[in-house]
Amino acid sequence: MFTLGSVLDNELKSSVEDFSFETEFSTNQLMLPNIEKPFEFAQSIISLEKDLDENDNQPMFHQQKKEERKERALIKGSKGTTTLAFIYEKGTVVAVDSRATSGQYIASQSVQKVVPVNQYMLGTLAGGAADCQFFLGHLGRICNLYELRNNEKISVAAASKLLNNILYSYRNYGLSVGSMICGYDTRGPQLYYIDSDGSRLKNSLFSVGSGSPFAYGVLDAGYRWDLSKEDAIDLGRRAICAATFKDSYSGGTVKVYHIDENGWVKISDDDASELWYRYEEKEKKNK
Amino acid sequence: MDSLVGFVGKNYVLMAGDTNAGRSIMRLKEDFDKLVPVDSHKILAKSGEIGDGNQFCNLIIRNVSLYRINNETELSTKSVAHYTRRQLATAIRKNPYSVNLLLGGYDKKDQKGSLYYLDYLGSSKKINYGAQGYAALFVGSILDRFWKEDLDFEDGLELMKKCLREVEKRLIIGTRCFLIKMINSDGIAVVEKVMINSKKKNEIEEEN
Repeated sequence: MFTLGSVLDNELKSSVEDFSFETEFSTNQLMLPNIEKPFEFAQSIISLEKDLDENDNQPMFHQQKKEERKERALIKGSKGTTTLAFIYEKGTVVAVDSRATSGQYIASQSVQKVVPVNQYMLGTLAGGAADCQFFLGHLGRICNLYELRNNEKISVAAASKLLNNILYSYRNYGLSVGSMICGYDTRGPQLYYIDSDGSRLKNSLFSVGSGSPFAYGVLDAGYRWDLSKEDAIDLGRRAICAATFKDSYSGGTVKVYHIDENGWVKISDDDASELWYRYEEKEKKNK
Repeated sequence: MDSLVGFVGKNYVLMAGDTNAGRSIMRLKEDFDKLVPVDSHKILAKSGEIGDGNQFCNLIIRNVSLYRINNETELSTKSVAHYTRRQLATAIRKNPYSVNLLLGGYDKKDQKGSLYYLDYLGSSKKINYGAQGYAALFVGSILDRFWKEDLDFEDGLELMKKCLREVEKRLIIGTRCFLIKMINSDGIAVVEKVMINSKKKNEIEEEN
């Protein structure tokens, strides 16, 4: 029965829903395995690379449990990859490799490490492939719902904050996500780094993965805000190439994407080893 | 690896933090602000894990705002410190927040500033001067030696720079960029963003 009161109530309810993110995947409801003590179970079977380091700011009882975990670790997560992204005057450049390793074995040379969130936002994958793919895909769903409810494009800051809050609630459950949310919105090109520890950092350039120190070297040396589009793309490509050359956990193909006000575009897809020798040839010719 | 320093002066509180954000050996961001404003006259300086720091400080800030909206009155620094301590203490045995904090604030009612030292274990102490992180090792003795009650602002700033100079000089991990903020009756102000290079003659360069 629709009285005036109930109509207003309904309107109020739906307008509140517009500004909230209450879905079945709401951050209030944590999805957990259907066993007696999910937290302890997760802690017992997963050991991450960082947990194996001794230098920690952790309380004493955490360190004791860490010893037990090391012995019983069945799943080992490590961020064996190189992904990078940077923003510059004309947009955002995202460059990734495509190798997946399990231990010392190369599982695949053709992994998609860039997941489109929507037409103007990309997410990169580092760490656990399943974790990243799921959560970035889920982020895409949430962003789509936001756009439908609010009739405006979601900002990169908001999208990254949503992902950050979700990942923070799964903080100690052994997820391994080192993702960058890269996009272009009304504030210009934006770049956020999101971690499974719950960190969220905004900066003009990031590189994530085991090959990141090598990529940072090339990137920091060549980065300027006023790069031309061609130079920026080349910088991204060279930085990943350098990382694949030095890091054994990175390789395969080098994929480069560019994001500007018109959305994201895949620029190139080159085999990493060929690329290295191609650059060498170029240097020789220039000399 | 984070360095936070703070002390109370004559009608102000001076706080400084390094501006590095990193992961293990790598510096991810060089201009990271660790001194977050709780409200117009309080700063929460965070150190420890980035994610925990962000989320915990957000929790405190938003609950303080909620209190202000519900009760139309601002909380005193002492109350915020107690509330923060309680949140840390109840969390420590469930899902601990790995954050160590310095809470500095100016209370208009008492017309003076106060500084609180808060630990991830849930300890809290009102202090006149103090530091968090590795800086505490170097800076503690300097503050013991040179801090006086009711320091003028110029003297206070000089003392702060003395402390930061020592941190840059002795801490093997590179922290040369610091952000200094002040709280007084007018509110929070960014005093300086300094870059210290103890090898150069003109040691401290002000960055704009």
